[in-house]
Amino acid sequence: MKTNDNCVGCGQCASFCKMGAIEVRGKARATDACVECGMCIPYCPVKAIEVPA
Amino acid sequence: MKTIVIGAGLGGLLSAARLSKAGHEVEVFERLPITGGRFTNLSYKGFQLSSGAFHMLPNGPGGPLAQLLREAGASVDIVRSDMTTVRVPLKKGNSDYVKGFKDISFSDFSSLLSYKDRMKIALLIVSTRKNRPSGSTLQAWIKTQVNDEWLIKFADSFCGWALSLKSDEVPVEEIFEIIENMYRFGGPGVPIGGCKGIIDALETVILANGGKIHTGQEVSKILVENGKAAGIVAEGKKHDADLVISNLGHAATALLCGEALSKEANAAYLKMLKSLRPSAGIKICLAADEPLVGHSGVLLTPYSRRINGINEVTQVDPKLAPPGKHLTMCHQYVAPENVKNLESEIEMGLADVKEIFPDKRYEVLLIQSYHDEWPVNRAASGTDPGNETPFSGLYVVGDGAKGKGGIEVEGVALGVASVLGKILS
Repeated sequence: MKTNDNCVGCGQCASFCKMGAIEVRGKARATDACVECGMCIPYCPVKAIEVPA
Repeated sequence: MKTIVIGAGLGGLLSAARLSKAGHEVEVFERLPITGGRFTNLSYKGFQLSSGAFHMLPNGPGGPLAQLLREAGASVDIVRSDMTTVRVPLKKGNSDYVKGFKDISFSDFSSLLSYKDRMKIALLIVSTRKNRPSGSTLQAWIKTQVNDEWLIKFADSFCGWALSLKSDEVPVEEIFEIIENMYRFGGPGVPIGGCKGIIDALETVILANGGKIHTGQEVSKILVENGKAAGIVAEGKKHDADLVISNLGHAATALLCGEALSKEANAAYLKMLKSLRPSAGIKICLAADEPLVGHSGVLLTPYSRRINGINEVTQVDPKLAPPGKHLTMCHQYVAPENVKNLESEIEMGLADVKEIFPDKRYEVLLIQSYHDEWPVNRAASGTDPGNETPFSGLYVVGDGAKGKGGIEVEGVALGVASVLGKILS
């Protein structure tokens, strides 16, 4: 997953990530464990997660 | 009467539950796949973290939110918290907790003042109930009464914890309304099941009364006819309604109204929208095997650099954490100019946590920050512009339209109660 400038760092995506692959510190960032499944996208309240190409 | 609610946060669901009970045909539209907005649980590593709020109602089982839940027929158990304590340096004059600290009761705050100032505070506690101060910020007012640095720190930690503001940003009128509400309703409480305990109870009421809750459906337009709300468009489909209640705050609601808002006729409303400022904050969620706070109330930390206050909700509901664990949540205010420096603000918060709990073992579970489009409050406390819009039948509820003197979700409840008063009278 990749976030845009909308991300506020609320961590909602991290709680819905099945892979435990999101770290949050002011903004959300994917770790190497991210498989680009896109599961987190709809849970973001500020449309900050970009859909993988 | 057909009522459409936009947004399934606390304000939206409270409105929907109470109106469905009153016989309205209610439909709620929520953009996200989950309900509850910034007032629900997020499961994380076996803990029930929250999407925003601290699993705590500022006025507990006697407050405006608890009362509205009862009126709506929502069954929630809210347990009154222990007395708030305040962590102060062991030795007066020390500027932090490094050389030791002690916890005093919230109501003993004046014990740290000089004899003369204590007397002055005792008199003010009586006199201000009749003659409320007004026309300045809390901090400016304190400085005209008592010149003591501790009192400012104490005020800042309370305002930071309760409102995510500093005492020089809060109108003194708002604080005295809050104090009056503390007398009237009592102090904080924890809902069993956390925030989601309340959201689930409200949804049960809505569904039992035939209401509908749609998740994953984004509203793209509010329809206005002859100056009156007429419905919405969601996912390209038109839905007619007699009443529309928006839980999105005034600014986002206005955007959905589109060209119905005229630059000329609604100039004052549009100008007001520009003046609205959301408040920002950071929540550090800790997991521990032993209690860190040790009671079910709030621990205020006025001598920290960033952390304002902490609660430990597992003192009331152990199920909010895995067996034997505690969930402890720290809040810190973020000044508007520091929103761009969140990482360093978080560093300072984490350093504070170490200083507040020097000999304790804990794990940092998750650090959550809130600002701008997903803030602590859409309208900073004391600046809420009410629930009305330029259109009849269109109301705004939620943390962008709180009632006076209501801390956080109590303010949301007061705002909803005000709208319900207009609709149901």
